[in-house]
Amino acid sequence: MKIVSDVLENIAGIQTYYIVGMLIFLFLFIVIVVRTYSTPNSEMSNRKNAIFDEKELLDIKNDK
Amino acid sequence: MEIQKFNYDNKIVKLFILATIIWGVVAILVGLLAALQLSFPFFNFGLEFTTFGRIRPIHTNAVIFAFVGNAIYAGVYYSMQKLLKTRMFNDVLSKINFWGWQFIILCAALTFFAGITTGKEYAELEWPIDIMITVVWVVFGWNMIGTIIIRREKHIYAAIWWYLASFLGVAMLHVVNSFELPVSLFKSYPIYAGAQDAVVQWWYGHNAVAFFLTTPFLGLMYYYLPKAAGRPIYSYKLSIVHFWALIFIYMWAGPHHLLYQALPDWAQALGVTFSIMLIAPSWGGMINGLLTLRGAWDKVRDSAALKFMVVAVTAYGMSTFEGPMMSLKNVNAISHFTDWTIAHVHIGGMGWNGGLVFGMLYWLVPKLFRTKLFSEKIANTHFWIATLGMLIYAIPLYWAAITQWLMWREYTPEGFLAYPNFLETVTQIVPLYTFRIIGGTLYLVGFLLLVWNLVKTMAAGSMEANEAAEAYPLENKESRSSARETIHRWLERKPVRFAIVAFVLLAIGGAVEIIPMIFVKSNVPTIESVKPYTPLELEGRDIYISEGCYTCHSQMVRPFRWETDRYGEYSKIGEFVYDHPFQWGSRRTGPDLARTGVITGNMYKTASWHYNHFMDPQRMNEQSIMPKYDWFAIKDIDLDMIPAKIRAMQTLGVPYEEGFDERAIDDLKAQAQIIADDLKQSGIEIEPTKQMIAMIAYLHKLGRDITPVVETKPEPVKTTSVNITEEMIPAGKASFQKNCIICHGPDGKGNVIGPDLTDNEWIIEKSPEGVYENISNGKIEKGMTPFKGVLSEEEITQLTAFVLLELNKN
Repeated sequence: MKIVSDVLENIAGIQTYYIVGMLIFLFLFIVIVVRTYSTPNSEMSNRKNAIFDEKELLDIKNDK
Repeated sequence: MEIQKFNYDNKIVKLFILATIIWGVVAILVGLLAALQLSFPFFNFGLEFTTFGRIRPIHTNAVIFAFVGNAIYAGVYYSMQKLLKTRMFNDVLSKINFWGWQFIILCAALTFFAGITTGKEYAELEWPIDIMITVVWVVFGWNMIGTIIIRREKHIYAAIWWYLASFLGVAMLHVVNSFELPVSLFKSYPIYAGAQDAVVQWWYGHNAVAFFLTTPFLGLMYYYLPKAAGRPIYSYKLSIVHFWALIFIYMWAGPHHLLYQALPDWAQALGVTFSIMLIAPSWGGMINGLLTLRGAWDKVRDSAALKFMVVAVTAYGMSTFEGPMMSLKNVNAISHFTDWTIAHVHIGGMGWNGGLVFGMLYWLVPKLFRTKLFSEKIANTHFWIATLGMLIYAIPLYWAAITQWLMWREYTPEGFLAYPNFLETVTQIVPLYTFRIIGGTLYLVGFLLLVWNLVKTMAAGSMEANEAAEAYPLENKESRSSARETIHRWLERKPVRFAIVAFVLLAIGGAVEIIPMIFVKSNVPTIESVKPYTPLELEGRDIYISEGCYTCHSQMVRPFRWETDRYGEYSKIGEFVYDHPFQWGSRRTGPDLARTGVITGNMYKTASWHYNHFMDPQRMNEQSIMPKYDWFAIKDIDLDMIPAKIRAMQTLGVPYEEGFDERAIDDLKAQAQIIADDLKQSGIEIEPTKQMIAMIAYLHKLGRDITPVVETKPEPVKTTSVNITEEMIPAGKASFQKNCIICHGPDGKGNVIGPDLTDNEWIIEKSPEGVYENISNGKIEKGMTPFKGVLSEEEITQLTAFVLLELNKN
């Protein structure tokens, strides 16, 4: 494992890596948010209603 | 396409429900006992098996792994089958999961009673049980992933993403934190030491909360809340975003448990940053849960199940706001080591976990037994009793936390600690602990109502062990078309790929924190003067761990003036390089012990003081809440184990000389004889091979290595004239009660530690000057602490007046 130790100790500016990591996370997070929220509502509606059987869906409709 | 017929396995769900109920009652009863012990030491029963140090891990493990664990399995096994329209993958795996988990719980309870523990919070189980947990958890995951693969539904509903992430997260945490070197069947040492062990342990500890108490419960919320409310989840889009964000961010936040402690700044900064970021995804879940009830709040009025779910989601929101706030360093200075943390976890445990389990059971049991709940009224009564119990439990603990913190840091106008005796700060909050007992009792009464209600419901209905169902088979899987579906949508129907992506995201946070701590030497600077424990000290340390002393005592002096004035030099990373495991603790019901070996420090006590204190703490101070440890004077050190322990330490890199294991027993006996001889001088006869000797040796080691050797003694206080008057007596009496009664008794007639101050057999000059000098300089060799740095000259004069003019007026 000494090789890991040597590599980590000899990388210049390693302390900035986590900031870079966070920026990558932020970028991916924005992509996920944009892509998710651009999905049509009808498709999402089908998915979230999938846990109900037909009788339960009818009850929900009647409630509304 | 032909419709397929199959059966749901309801029997396994019923078994897990019964286990949840039984272990829930046991866990709360044990918690109640622990609460009683903190108010009334009598409830330690004078037995080694029932001291607070052993009972507390039983309570925490029983709540987390027995009560909550079985509830997770019950909820997951029921909802997965329904959501995926298939029976569980394999009935044998289901049975191994159930019976294996119950066996682990029994083993855990028995070993904790026996004092077999690793000494790492929420990971106290020894290595054979760790292996059993790994096997049973893999069986659970195998069964779960197998069920996903044989499903009849194309897409995987949100609840199952959380179940999958929980399985992966817990597996990773448990395996990495449990790397330990066995010494015998019941004893092991973790491969990590000191600060490294602390980082790994709190990465585990924090994320055990995340992936055992949070993510599976979010999964349960996504299924049972919409079902109970008859409403789909508010936003499926929000569920996608908060899932990926939460599982990624949670893993980074562990170091917020170690703020102001012996840890590099970069690690503390990461812990704080990601803890604050956690608010967003956590509240995403809470908002999604609460808004699901829009338009259905009328149902909440009548349904106890929904009421509990609302309280659960609200408590989740509160806890996930409070947690990040406690991660701010200035707030953490207050909350850490005080009852704030205890209150915080109980809001989460009683409100979020308890509430959701109760809500789920009130909805699920009638469904499973095809009948109505026996009494909605009793369920509603349970709700109000439990809610009241939670408030009565938590509010006094917040109060206790602030009170104790203020007392720890209070200074007199002269610049001395106002409450130098730690016990004063405990005595002040013990009455608040009584409210905790009332709160816990109410919560238990509510739980018993649930048990009665559910038993009657089960008796009134009938469960179909193999419930018939039918569904169309899963249509052929097609590849992703980027025009038609997002990556998440595609991943959602590919469980193995989904699991791999989730695993990578989970691994990043831990890797970034743990790998540099272990491999970059500059993160753990060593201190040359710090030496490995002697065999006797090592044995004492193992007894300290076995008795769970860390549940009340920390070994971590933070860099605050009010801590260094009370305990001594602040703690440094290099002090702990031989500590397998670290014992920094997380709550101070007793004082910090990191400097009990510093002879010139405030925390040093003589061997005879420790002996008498272990034998009967209440005899030395009736307000003490510490249990007796009088069996230390009877039980022998296990000498046969010593060479194996030394060899294990050598394997872990502790620099004992080659062949030292063969000389270790002789070394131990020689050091033990010195302590036994010292005790003999104080009139205490004890064999050198008793556990008491090892404990004293260990306590005298703590902090000793980093104390600079004083070549010249500090100049003693000398005075030629001290003027004492009758007016000084009241102030002197108050000071005496605060500082002196532990050793000299409330009436000054002495006790097992200190001499009688009212007779004429004094070893010092019985004059104002003699008493003043003795209080100022102390008599270290006799156990008398010097008070010149603790009390002002005026206070020492007042004490002198009280001793001579009041205690010796006759």
